[in-house]
Amino acid sequence: MSGTDNQSETLLERLALDGLIARVRDLQVSSDSLTWSRFCGSLALVLVVLLFLSGAFMAFYYSPSPGAAYDSVDYAQFSIPFGDVVRGIHHYSWNLLLVVMGLHLGRALLLGAYKAPRQFVWVSGLVIMLVVPAFIFTGDLLPWDQKGYWSTQVRNSIMGSVPVVGDFQVRMLQGGPRLGIVALTRYYVLHTIFLPGLFLFLIAGHFHFLGHRGLSSPVFGRETARRKVPLVPNIVNRWLVLFIVVAVVLGLVAWYWPAPLGDPADPTDSTYVPKPEWWVLFLNQLVGIFTGPLTVVGTVIIPGGLVGLMMALPFIDRSPERHPARRKKTMLVAAVISLLVLGLSVMGYIEHHLTVLE
Amino acid sequence: MSQGGVFPKGNKASESEVNSDRRTFIKTAALTGVAAVVIGVPLASYVIAPSLKKGTGKWIDFGPVEDLEPGGMEMLSYEFMVKDGWLVLPQRGFVWAKTEDGGKLRVFSSTCTHLACNVIWREEEEVFVCPCHSGRFDASGRNIAGPPTKPLVVLEHRIEDGNLKVFLTV
Repeated sequence: MSGTDNQSETLLERLALDGLIARVRDLQVSSDSLTWSRFCGSLALVLVVLLFLSGAFMAFYYSPSPGAAYDSVDYAQFSIPFGDVVRGIHHYSWNLLLVVMGLHLGRALLLGAYKAPRQFVWVSGLVIMLVVPAFIFTGDLLPWDQKGYWSTQVRNSIMGSVPVVGDFQVRMLQGGPRLGIVALTRYYVLHTIFLPGLFLFLIAGHFHFLGHRGLSSPVFGRETARRKVPLVPNIVNRWLVLFIVVAVVLGLVAWYWPAPLGDPADPTDSTYVPKPEWWVLFLNQLVGIFTGPLTVVGTVIIPGGLVGLMMALPFIDRSPERHPARRKKTMLVAAVISLLVLGLSVMGYIEHHLTVLE
Repeated sequence: MSQGGVFPKGNKASESEVNSDRRTFIKTAALTGVAAVVIGVPLASYVIAPSLKKGTGKWIDFGPVEDLEPGGMEMLSYEFMVKDGWLVLPQRGFVWAKTEDGGKLRVFSSTCTHLACNVIWREEEEVFVCPCHSGRFDASGRNIAGPPTKPLVVLEHRIEDGNLKVFLTV
């Protein structure tokens, strides 16, 4: 082609992409960016890609109206080739994403990765984690099955119980006083357009801080400069292997255990008891514990305080010490909070999943 | 992006004054503000509008009142058409009607006052139970246990030509 001809430009030059390609090719990252001991960030990224892909394709068959939504999801899952795989990958990916993000956060907390100069890597990561529940809440309603419908009713009531702004908040979200076609359309648009846009922006922010402040250095072992490897192809290849493995495994899981789709939503069905999902059990217990005038403690003050505390952590715990054994105070607080969350979750699990109300 | 084309290369006039910088900034800020208002007002109104509509009430006919068993608590289901946005859809639900011995009738909303789940009447224990957070109400709708802090809403009703009509907010 024109490669041998010095006179003419290469295609890349004509497209004005040569500079960009050269810069990407020159990117160097530490060799432990994706290894057996550090993979949660990459795994989260892979899951987000799978969620975007499966979600975008599910939209081909989705019809956001109460009369048709359930049937359209049922059709997409059971009548289309790979339908159960696509919906299943979406389902299992977000469940796994919550676990992986929890581990990602736990590692950063344990190894003090949030400390200077990486404060905003931590903060931007937390902000991403706060958006994920919004995805789940809006996505949960879309199949218009019993679980989605009733969980949404309960969640909206909790939101409505927030003093002053609660009622308006719910009306804004629903586009009126009831959970009907206007609400479903809004949830759909939020889930598939606005939230993904915000999500991409936030992920870009996380990478921006990461790119400038780097990965945290290993806490254990000798303080030697880490080997740098080119992002392309070394790390990209590892990402691709991870992507293929995760896609195949989740695809098989989705094929053997299809994603749950309950009965069509029935607002008159008094027998349906919405069970809180595993990751929200502790919040649900808090809502149950603080009642009456204290409701706001369980719905706003404690969750908000926890988020505030986590956000502020890099600015409270400022010592450069990163070894967990030498950060006893932080570890103790983190352990107590984790145990409380775990304890409440177990209580919630026993109450809602092991005992049957008759 | 700094490779040429429309993007200026190198430094601009280095003697650029603070004043001129400030003027440029204010100009851009003002234009940004105007652009935000021009698109923001219509778009915000566009998305908020239906949220401001208040739910209206409606009298729903539940049929002959003599069909109700005296002294009992009965679940009365309803279905009526309601306009939701651009679609007319059936709105379904149920209320609880208690006929007292003197023929007095009370109609309770089935909505739990805690978080809006539907309460269920348990005949053996004579209580309403909310399946979501185990709230309980007695036969007169009083909250007696669990998270609810308010009694069940008593719905306005009237009897017209022997038919029970209940006022529901839709």
